[in-house]
Amino acid sequence: MLQKNFSVLYIVFTLLGVVSCSEESNPEFDTQTFTSIFDNNKFDASYFPIDMRETPDGGYVILGGRKLTDTSFTGIYLLKADKFGNFVKEIEVEETSVNPIADFVEYQTKYYFFCMDPLTQVAQIASVDANLDAVTITPVQGGLTYPAAAAFVENNFVMLGYNNDDKETVISILNPDGGILESQGYTIGTGEDVEEPIINHYIRTGKQYPFEVGKTSGGLYFFNGFYNYTFSLVFTNFGDDPVGVVQGQQNDGGFSAVTPLNGNKFASSRFNFGSNFLLPNKELSTSGITSSTDLGGYSLPELVPNANVRILRATVDSKNVLIYGSDTKSKQIGLLFYDESTGDFISSRYLGFSNPFEVASLEQTSDEGLAVCGTTYLAGRFPRICIFKLSKDQLISNATAE
Amino acid sequence: MKRLNLILLCLLIVVGVFGQEKKKKPSAYNKQKQSQEDEKFLEKQWWLGFKAGANLSKANVDKTYSVIAPTNYDASTIGKQYDNYTLLGSQATLEVSFYFKRFLLSFQPTYQHSRFSYSNSFEWSSTEEVANHVQLTFDQEQKLDHAILPLIIKYDVYGNRLRPYVQIGAYSAILLNATKSVTTTGVDNAAGGENEFATETINVGATDLFAKYHWGLLGGVGMNYNLGNNVRLNFDVIYKLGMSNISSTDNRYGSDRLSGVGDAMDDLTLDNISVSLGCLFPMRFLSSGFKTLDK
Repeated sequence: MLQKNFSVLYIVFTLLGVVSCSEESNPEFDTQTFTSIFDNNKFDASYFPIDMRETPDGGYVILGGRKLTDTSFTGIYLLKADKFGNFVKEIEVEETSVNPIADFVEYQTKYYFFCMDPLTQVAQIASVDANLDAVTITPVQGGLTYPAAAAFVENNFVMLGYNNDDKETVISILNPDGGILESQGYTIGTGEDVEEPIINHYIRTGKQYPFEVGKTSGGLYFFNGFYNYTFSLVFTNFGDDPVGVVQGQQNDGGFSAVTPLNGNKFASSRFNFGSNFLLPNKELSTSGITSSTDLGGYSLPELVPNANVRILRATVDSKNVLIYGSDTKSKQIGLLFYDESTGDFISSRYLGFSNPFEVASLEQTSDEGLAVCGTTYLAGRFPRICIFKLSKDQLISNATAE
Repeated sequence: MKRLNLILLCLLIVVGVFGQEKKKKPSAYNKQKQSQEDEKFLEKQWWLGFKAGANLSKANVDKTYSVIAPTNYDASTIGKQYDNYTLLGSQATLEVSFYFKRFLLSFQPTYQHSRFSYSNSFEWSSTEEVANHVQLTFDQEQKLDHAILPLIIKYDVYGNRLRPYVQIGAYSAILLNATKSVTTTGVDNAAGGENEFATETINVGATDLFAKYHWGLLGGVGMNYNLGNNVRLNFDVIYKLGMSNISSTDNRYGSDRLSGVGDAMDDLTLDNISVSLGCLFPMRFLSSGFKTLDK
């Protein structure tokens, strides 16, 4: 009899144990991991992200582009999502400003980006608050034109532009009000053939070049752009001539992403006649003229030709890692994790399925997870903005995988 | 392999049934005394049995989730439409019951295969060109295998050769396996005509998307019919009321393949109605030739 009672008790306690293990809703889980695709049901609508920032409330603001019907330039689109990835607000900025560019910079309580006047092509500096309540746009001083890339360095902006009168790539330092502190132009070469890919980039009828600008830990500024007939990585101290140039292969080769590490070491990637090479920890010559084709790198045939690449320096579980995001031939966003100190490959993760996905921005979030912003093509054809949010645990599993 | 096991189990049952010796009638001399002993004996009994049958499921949504976040239209227009009690599942149950004065305490470990489905539709259209219209429908079917561990109290409302009963209880469920399949169909008018298309079905292992455990309450009715030879034929109907979420809350977006097509599981409970047919055998026998109960 005692044994039977114990059996019944065993069953009851087993049931109670299982009940206590039942799945409970947890809003924290919903912020740690989610996938969101922001859809507009207009057939002709086309949106793509350029850059994304996490806001203090845990949400996200996305700087994007949109297709305009009356001009070849790209319209400005801003989207706010909450910390769960839900749509909150969008702004389609008037067509008096076009061609927004990365970086989307958080400074004090505002988010800044550069764009341009479609009539004069003069660069403009725009700011918006975290809730997208108001967008302010003012022209930068000095008549800088065709903004291509921007970065925020030591409380000032570094902007890369193009001067089509002088056929020069122009690097400038501007204060947050748009005042020019320093500026220098470098020739792209002469002839219409040299300029053609640049103009095609701006009106999005040709290859989208990975223009970048920034500053090395050694104090030199750099830009990834056209110089002397070639898409090159150029180091400068704003002198008349560059300090160093790592040349590409005219329009067909060069760097697809560059992130300075320490000293002359860079995390970078390069493209060359359709091939892609990742260089997670490579010393580059910041003086003299060298060629990017001599740099080698990890060849990744899985990536689309001349792939779009984003590099994020992240600290995951006290380990410094480099996260490369790129577009694969299987139409997914591929994330490749490398040890920053050694450049050794750690692991990979692929995002998206069925519809095509393309990477636009990577950001390590305040909860130590990773937010990946990209473009997907709903129904295989409608470009829409998406966010993949990975949790801290998912990131750790990738960053510490053996 | 599962079928083979089932056939072997049925064979064992049949052999057991026909292996029972025929009842011996008590002598007239001991009839009254024997009857009293039988009555006392019949107050308690252990039953062992097996039953199997079919079930239908219904999903109750507590909180809806979607990968698609509309920016210029109402999210309800792309909400999931659940098809309840439409897809047939199956179950097989081993029953161990203890009978005492018309009440039975029953433990019925069950292997349950349940199915439910939902669909949602998306549309893109142009205000300027009517022909520019695309409509997509995603049909998603979930197949879940659970080990159900119910503890049930039954009451025989009438005691004779035919013994109807009512039952209530609670159960816990352990997830064994789950799969999802997604079929996409659509109509594309932008191609110059009405282009109806369907994509290949995506089948995904989805065990990580569902809760490892859930629990619920149950109630039902049924009846036993004494076939003689110590065998009771059992007909059983149970309604299970899911009380906890069957979706995984921390792994909702764990499948890139499903997220890629815009799917995320809702928080939901699963109700299930099952009908089973089986047989029961007594485990306690009278000393004279396996005689047991059922006057």
